[in-house]
Amino acid sequence: MFRRLRKIIKKEFIQALRDKKLRIFIFLPPIVQLLTYGYAVNFDIERAPTAILDEDRSAESRKLLYRFSHSRYFDIREYVDSERDLRRLIDHSRVTLALRIPRDFARQLQGGRQAPVQLLVDATDSNAALIVTRYAHAVVGEFSLDLMRQRLRQRGLQGDLSAPVVIEPRAWFNDNLVSRYTFVPGVIAMVVMLVSFMLTALAVVREKEIGTMEQILVSPLRPVEFMLGKTIPFVVIALLDVVLVTAVGVFWFEVPLRGSLVVLFVGTVAFLFNSVGLGLFISTVSNTQQQAMMAGSFIFTPAILLSGFIFPISNMPEFFQYITYLNPLRYFITVVQAVFLKGSGLAVLWPHMAAMTALGLALLTLSVSRFRRRLG
Amino acid sequence: MDLGRTWAVFRKEMIHVRRDPGSLIQAILLPVLLLLLYGYALTFDIREVPTAVYDLEQSRVSQGFLKEFRGSPYFSLTHYVNSYEDIRRLIDHQQVRLALVIPHDFSRRLKLGETARVQAILDGTDANTANIILGYVQGAAAAYNQRLVVERLNLMGVTRLEEPVPVQTRLWFNEDLESKNFIIPGLIVVIMTMVGSLLTAVTIVRESERGSLEGLLATPLRKSELILGKLGPYFLIGLVDLGLVLGLGEFLFAVPLRGSVLLYIALASIFLVVMLGQGLLISVTAENQLQAYQMATLTTFLPSFLLSGFVFSIALMPLPLQIASYLVPARYLVSICKGVYLKGIGLEILWPDALMLVAFAALFILLAMRKFSRKLR
Amino acid sequence: MSDAPAIVVKDLTRDFGSFRAVDSISFEVRRGEIFGFLGPNGAGKSTTIRMLNGLLLPTAGEGRVAGFDIVREQESLQEHIGYMSQRFSLYEDLTAEENLDFFGGVYGLANDRLAARIDEVLRLVGLTERRADLTRTLALGLRQRLALASAVLHEPPILFLDEPTSGVDPISRRNFWDLIYAMADRGVTILVTTHYMDEAEFCDRLVLIYQGRLIAQGTPGDLKGLVQDAILAAYPDRLGEALEVARSLPLISDAAVFGRGLHLTAADPQAAGAALRQALAARDITLERLGRVAPTLEDAFISLIQRAGEE
Repeated sequence: MFRRLRKIIKKEFIQALRDKKLRIFIFLPPIVQLLTYGYAVNFDIERAPTAILDEDRSAESRKLLYRFSHSRYFDIREYVDSERDLRRLIDHSRVTLALRIPRDFARQLQGGRQAPVQLLVDATDSNAALIVTRYAHAVVGEFSLDLMRQRLRQRGLQGDLSAPVVIEPRAWFNDNLVSRYTFVPGVIAMVVMLVSFMLTALAVVREKEIGTMEQILVSPLRPVEFMLGKTIPFVVIALLDVVLVTAVGVFWFEVPLRGSLVVLFVGTVAFLFNSVGLGLFISTVSNTQQQAMMAGSFIFTPAILLSGFIFPISNMPEFFQYITYLNPLRYFITVVQAVFLKGSGLAVLWPHMAAMTALGLALLTLSVSRFRRRLG
Repeated sequence: MDLGRTWAVFRKEMIHVRRDPGSLIQAILLPVLLLLLYGYALTFDIREVPTAVYDLEQSRVSQGFLKEFRGSPYFSLTHYVNSYEDIRRLIDHQQVRLALVIPHDFSRRLKLGETARVQAILDGTDANTANIILGYVQGAAAAYNQRLVVERLNLMGVTRLEEPVPVQTRLWFNEDLESKNFIIPGLIVVIMTMVGSLLTAVTIVRESERGSLEGLLATPLRKSELILGKLGPYFLIGLVDLGLVLGLGEFLFAVPLRGSVLLYIALASIFLVVMLGQGLLISVTAENQLQAYQMATLTTFLPSFLLSGFVFSIALMPLPLQIASYLVPARYLVSICKGVYLKGIGLEILWPDALMLVAFAALFILLAMRKFSRKLR
Repeated sequence: MSDAPAIVVKDLTRDFGSFRAVDSISFEVRRGEIFGFLGPNGAGKSTTIRMLNGLLLPTAGEGRVAGFDIVREQESLQEHIGYMSQRFSLYEDLTAEENLDFFGGVYGLANDRLAARIDEVLRLVGLTERRADLTRTLALGLRQRLALASAVLHEPPILFLDEPTSGVDPISRRNFWDLIYAMADRGVTILVTTHYMDEAEFCDRLVLIYQGRLIAQGTPGDLKGLVQDAILAAYPDRLGEALEVARSLPLISDAAVFGRGLHLTAADPQAAGAALRQALAARDITLERLGRVAPTLEDAFISLIQRAGEE
């Protein structure tokens, strides 16, 4: 059994590493993906491009603008003279928000009346719009509060207008809520899946396409031996890739790795059962590489989208939340994030590990049982 | 150019596509799946955040503060705990995303007119969600504060109190801040990339792997006729997908379409040509299907998904990536999608984007044809 | 045991959907003989072989190969056979030696024995010099020899060769058959499918398969003897015209070009010969030679298939 196994593994490695282009593809895409995702997937809004329409041009309006220009959340790109110009800037996506201070701003304030300002937000990207709006409200709100204090003092009242209740945010595991800390571990999980899953599926299907499968089927090789021999190389390659991308995550992106590498390793192995099992399963239902790729993207795309990687699972409708329990990537991303940021150990993560192992074994069993010792 | 011969290639290619239900399924079903997922399941719009409360005071006043959260659609107070360890456990097991800690001197401080500090503990592993939740918490606290301040001032005899500078916010183009309104129209970019470059590249490589391309070359068919005929069916599939996105967006998801449909279709078609050109280029470069798949994923799919502004704002990326995004054709279509769909603007503003798409289309088709004929010689 | 036939097949049948690819075939192959499977493309030769080597399950009927039941004892059976499929099925991105190393391992050969066997088979097929070359760089004829080497690595007593020489040049084919003879000399039973008539002549015994049915079996001589009609060889000067003339004659049941002349089938050779001379003379076609010849295997093949088709 082991002799036969060893030969298949050896052959698989020779084939994977002899093809120069394939050799690059085993190690290049993980890094490229990690780098692009690490930089592109970012929801931390800073220096939102801002336009100002100051129709009042008074000392008061300048005081308000001063607060905007000194906030790290806003980057005042343009001062304009008309609402038409504002509209133009937003239409051209040059700014995401604009503040409009009306003509009688100072006069109203001096008269002790309300002097509303307008905030115009390009809400095409609702997520960014929401956050930007909140920051802008905070800046204006503070300005407003100071004015109110001033007025009360003028009336001779000693009321302290500081907010009675102050919220002290404590973001555990990620004090400054850096979104890169969230996404880099997620990308690591995704890259592991991409490498092991697709390569496994294609390696098996390719044998069918070039006709060598028939030669293997006619030998006394058992399905388990064949499948193990086919997959172990990709498990090894995937594990190497994990080391690679983890190193990039830690040393390049400086994501804190608070937990133990052993737990990460255990989680990766548990997950690899799944991705390799899925790859094998696809290879049993496809006859051509093209079919395998198609089936692969049918599984891969929803697996990523329903993993909580980008879109939080708790935001999904209940039905989809239940579906995510069948998604091994969901558990794996949780495990990788928890090991990195929370430093969690097996004591906390065992249910995820158990779920992955169970799903993985089920998938492997399914694939092995679907594997035909005969044609037709 | 002989239209008859092109037509013959086109018909043959159509038969292939029809006989190969796999590609058809991928070309039609996958887009539908994506649309449904994005339309129904995937959203940044957060409601009913599971929240734990650690109320050290347990007074009528602290309950009054919590009422602000109970009444809000954004929070769902699911757990009442008695220690930080409980909070840690709940967060570790992802049962809550937020915990509010009310100090034991909450009401005393309020009575004295001092500041009471309420801790909002967030699970920072999902930074974006945590950030949004924090905004909701601050909003709820602000509402509570305002009531309290008004009460206090009333006690001092100030009855008429107005906020000196109220903010009137106008959210343009997406008043309800629904993420589906920008994601669904943008999805056509991802779908067209898949059909246009991924499917096309792999299919054509398969044909040359099998050697049937050589047979075609022995005929008087010109390269341009061959390419046109081969790409025709995939162009049609791409248009069907475009129709799907338009139709489902309109009737199922009620995404507002404010600009001209015809403009949108025209510009999306140009983008489709860009993708077909890239697919062809890849198919000429790759030696086998696996390579074609990998190349297409890396050079077209990933950039279309990540660097186009489809989900992730380009403005938030570091400068090198922002510059790189100008080389991603998808970027221009995303900006066109948002412009036509939500802003209702036309070519008078979008012409630079349209022009870039045309330039890319010409570039890729030319490159592909040159490489194609050189390879065949 | 040693007297038992290597392969016994009884009423073997295989359907693909509503199409019956193999229709209750029965035959026996003796140990050490070269047994030919003859038949046009699509007759069911490959399907039969795939049932015998355990790749396909029969719809009905039974068979034993090397004493093992083809349905129930797939694994033991497969340890005792070698198979070379119709399609070249070695890894083109491995070297000759790596391919052998892999397939030897798949059959469970231990390392030192495997190394010795690899040397042996490489020498046998004459590829020792090319052992480190990538398979994709080998010419087709050499690849076929490598495939044969791979099929006999584990010294199987029975060898299935499915159209082993299709697409190979005549010299390579000859060399390949020398290898088959060498194998048979060592006592290996060989079942080979082919549609080349000259190769069929090399077989000890043959079965003729047509539309899934076995329509004749025996030695090449036996099969030729089954031809009932006489065969006339005619050498006219205008071959094409003469063929038309011959086909128009009612006394001649079949006419086909054979080398530089025509082979004509007729129940009554005397009368048919006379009629042909007369008809050709009327058209001014010179007949250089006309005589009765012994039927070749090709004649037998065509005539047997025609007869089967008429039935």
